[in-house]
Amino acid sequence: MENTVIKINNLVKRYGDLIALDHLDLEIKQGEIFGLLGPNGSGKTTTINCLLSLLAFDKGDIEIFGKKMTPVSYDIKKDIGVIMQNVTVFDELTVYENIDYFCGLYIKDKAKRREYVEEAIKFVELGDFRKFYPKKLSGGLLRRLNIACGIAHKPKLIILDEPTVAVDPQSRNRILEGIQELNRNGATVIYTSHYMEEVEQICTRIAIMDKGRKVAEGTKDELKRMIKNTETITIEILDVPDNIVKEIASLPHVYDTDLSNGKLTVYCSGGKHNLIRVLEVLQKNELSFGRVYTELPTLNDVFLEITGKALRDKEE
Amino acid sequence: MFMHILKYELKNGLRTKDLIIWLILFPIILGTCFKIAFGSIYEKTEKFSSIPVAIVEESENAAFRQVIEGIEKSDEPFLKASFTDKEKAEKMLDDGKVEGIIFTSDNISLTVKEKGIRETMLKSFIEQYKVREKIAMDAINTAPEKAQEVIASLTSETASSCRDIPLTQGNPDMYIQYFYNLIAMVAMFGCITGMHITMQNQANLSPLGARNNCSPVQKSISILACLTGSFILETICMVICVSYLAFVLKVDFGDRLWLVYPSAILGGITGVSFGFFVGSLTHIGEKAKSALLVSISMLLCFCSGLMVGNMKAIIAARIPWFNNINPAAVIADCFYCLNIYEDYDRFITKLITMAVISVMFIVLGFVTSRRKKYASI
Repeated sequence: MENTVIKINNLVKRYGDLIALDHLDLEIKQGEIFGLLGPNGSGKTTTINCLLSLLAFDKGDIEIFGKKMTPVSYDIKKDIGVIMQNVTVFDELTVYENIDYFCGLYIKDKAKRREYVEEAIKFVELGDFRKFYPKKLSGGLLRRLNIACGIAHKPKLIILDEPTVAVDPQSRNRILEGIQELNRNGATVIYTSHYMEEVEQICTRIAIMDKGRKVAEGTKDELKRMIKNTETITIEILDVPDNIVKEIASLPHVYDTDLSNGKLTVYCSGGKHNLIRVLEVLQKNELSFGRVYTELPTLNDVFLEITGKALRDKEE
Repeated sequence: MFMHILKYELKNGLRTKDLIIWLILFPIILGTCFKIAFGSIYEKTEKFSSIPVAIVEESENAAFRQVIEGIEKSDEPFLKASFTDKEKAEKMLDDGKVEGIIFTSDNISLTVKEKGIRETMLKSFIEQYKVREKIAMDAINTAPEKAQEVIASLTSETASSCRDIPLTQGNPDMYIQYFYNLIAMVAMFGCITGMHITMQNQANLSPLGARNNCSPVQKSISILACLTGSFILETICMVICVSYLAFVLKVDFGDRLWLVYPSAILGGITGVSFGFFVGSLTHIGEKAKSALLVSISMLLCFCSGLMVGNMKAIIAARIPWFNNINPAAVIADCFYCLNIYEDYDRFITKLITMAVISVMFIVLGFVTSRRKKYASI
């Protein structure tokens, strides 16, 4: 209990008839990068807003640093850094002024604040842009400014709600590296995203959410062990007779096959040398094929298997 | 913390384009347009200017000539006399260069071409002169040594009977009212800055509001700092507006300019408070809310007669209480009282009303904004 930073117990939030959070329980330990993964509308942001006492909820308790979180818990709030999903900066203030403004809400001492602001600017590599107005910054730089405003006061707990939405890959990598660095410096991090690659890359523990419920929780390896898929083999092939597809489906450890769009997909559960056995069947029947590749299960597979749907829409 | 938020509120406000456009550029441009449009009309139609008149001396009348010369030398001469012969005078009257011809002989007579206010004034002047001339002649006959003194008083008394008499020491012409209306409208536009306070402090109105609510700053301190900043910004804008009208456009606010400033500033504070209250009521987007507030302000300005002169009278006849709570009407009334009434009773009453309305809006705004958690964001 000592090193529990956040404890959410039986949290329920309703919007009329819609249940946004359905008896949610979470416990986040000190030093973790905890990922909240789920599709849009799964309740990630609602969880964060309840956590920050912005949203009223119907049932449940929230404790942060061992104390009950309320809107007037200023002693708790001073140790929390918040990076919202939307960029929350003043358009008419420069990069430096924005960071100084938000840092000043937490740090009264001017000299200390100046030092912290400089460190934050250096951390997000916005040194060349300190006199720029947000309108002049690219999407990636703007996101970095948003992060700097949230972490400048050196909080113990950092909450990042989808901080990489609409960010180019280079900036995204820089942001993710930064989050890991903040964690190495001692901050506990809560990271929400619907990008499974990001969550896989940086989070030490992950909760998968769907329709306001926590459907799975654990490390990425623990989550992947929860499903039967261990390997997915994809073969680019024009046509495969039905009897050959059936022969492949009957191979040991193969539990499903799919032939569509010029690709034969074979789903395996456990076992070794699955690829060799599939290729032997094709060779034996003198079928020519193009590229062949295998994939280990992803969090998307975990989500797909648990909820019966993909984590992200195709256009995303 | 208060000073930190106030500092950035001022910085942010002074760089906000909407504020600069509506509270500084708008009154400067519209005020200049008013001056160009109404200035010339005013000069031609309303200003009490000298009446051109031809004087034909059929026989010498030294006393009358002395009176005319005395009037022309005065600070505000109401006559501009041309001594000429009958033929030229008639031509001048036909050409419209003079309003009438005064014939001086034993009996002074007046010939005019048309009937109008200025012709009536000339007629009145001649009649006044005749009455006073008779009194003066009697006085001279009684005491000939005081002849010059009597003629001097004849000049001043006759001239003073035909002059513009203001009701107050202000400038009560109808065109000055347009400039007062402009100041009142700018004061009402202060509601935009008031609205920004709620956007910045309520988590359910904007992401920035949500972000600020996550900080360890008490909401009341944050709102107070923002309100103070908005009041300061609005005061700066109102001072610029009134100063531009008074000193650049030379709009004549009479000798009560020093009272126009506090009235305008208090009006601006009322506008900000109004925006703060209305802004805290509705849960809609910033642009929609901004448009709604400007529309409400324009409607209130319309009801207060800032656009259609007799609208306030129409409202007063049908729903009289509305003018007492309509902030635009109260602001306009304040200037009206300053302009029309010589005493300050009504003016002070209007100032107090503005202050009460402002306090009411601020308190209601605080009560509405103080909610700490929101049902939805």
